[in-house]
Amino acid sequence: MSLALRIFLFANAVVVLLFVAKQIKKSAFETADALYWFVLSSSLVVLAAFPEIAFFFSNMLGFQSPSNFIFLAMIALLLIRDFRLQSDLIRLRRKVTALTQEIALREHDSEHQASWKKTK
Amino acid sequence: MSTLVIIPAYNEEESIIATVEELREQAPQYDYVIINDGSRDRTSELCRARGYDIIDLPANLGLTGAFQTGMKYAHRHGYDHAIQFDADGQHIPVYIENLVRDMEQTGADVVIGSRFVTQNKPASLRMLGSNLISALIRLTTGKLIKDPTSGMRIYNRSVIELFASRDDLSPEPDTLAFLIKRCGMDVVERQVSMRDRHAGESYLTLSKSISYMSVACSSILLSLWFRR
Repeated sequence: MSLALRIFLFANAVVVLLFVAKQIKKSAFETADALYWFVLSSSLVVLAAFPEIAFFFSNMLGFQSPSNFIFLAMIALLLIRDFRLQSDLIRLRRKVTALTQEIALREHDSEHQASWKKTK
Repeated sequence: MSTLVIIPAYNEEESIIATVEELREQAPQYDYVIINDGSRDRTSELCRARGYDIIDLPANLGLTGAFQTGMKYAHRHGYDHAIQFDADGQHIPVYIENLVRDMEQTGADVVIGSRFVTQNKPASLRMLGSNLISALIRLTTGKLIKDPTSGMRIYNRSVIELFASRDDLSPEPDTLAFLIKRCGMDVVERQVSMRDRHAGESYLTLSKSISYMSVACSSILLSLWFRR
């Protein structure tokens, strides 16, 4: 890996880490989500600074190249994330559905009570 | 025994009046409620102007959510039966009485207003899909439902309670399979006839039919394996 590429990757990783830190400070994330992004972006910085780590693990596990190892690890992390996001989305959708129905049903009930009082 | 006719309506301004008028004329003994599923046309306005009983959902939930609203309403107001009835004029209200009577006589949990009990299925692409769904239900539950995609069905109190309390039941064929297989419910069919739609286009274009079929088929299988 050329020195230019290493510097480029390291700079990018640092930018991502700073961005995440700023967002966490603004409390845009819940604690558990913040931890995920913090650990992920810090490990990018560590990997960019010491690519030997990736070489070590990919050799140990028998990957053809370290980049394949990195790709696999990243895809796995993203898939886990995707799965969790989807299950959060389903829960939210169910709550929105229940709330929408509740609003409509209550509105309907109060309309009817009003008209019932009027006729009385 | 009290019966509620649930009419989910999404952008049905062209047919809703005719549907409700016909219902009030031919089946005045039954309560009905229109569930306006966040329509963007004048569905709600027209119904209110005529004093129809209508529940307005503040956002579009889709047929499953809209129908469930009706089931929650039926559950809270203690109805014994609830009927799923289309707003687009396909269903004919005279048959409601037959379905109610059938339910009381047979003690079934669900009675389907079926087009094919005594009549034969026409040979068309859509009926090929219907046959495929029938075959899958037969395969998984052992029960032959000749018209699984009919949207005219009557449910008893225990099914109303299930629909009101669970959030994964849709008024679709896979729910029939689930009710038969997993809940031990009794589903019967009764011959009715249906009309072509009053207004609007059927939303079953070719691509939508294919996706409807794949969702229907896979959810029959999945719902039986994974749902509790």
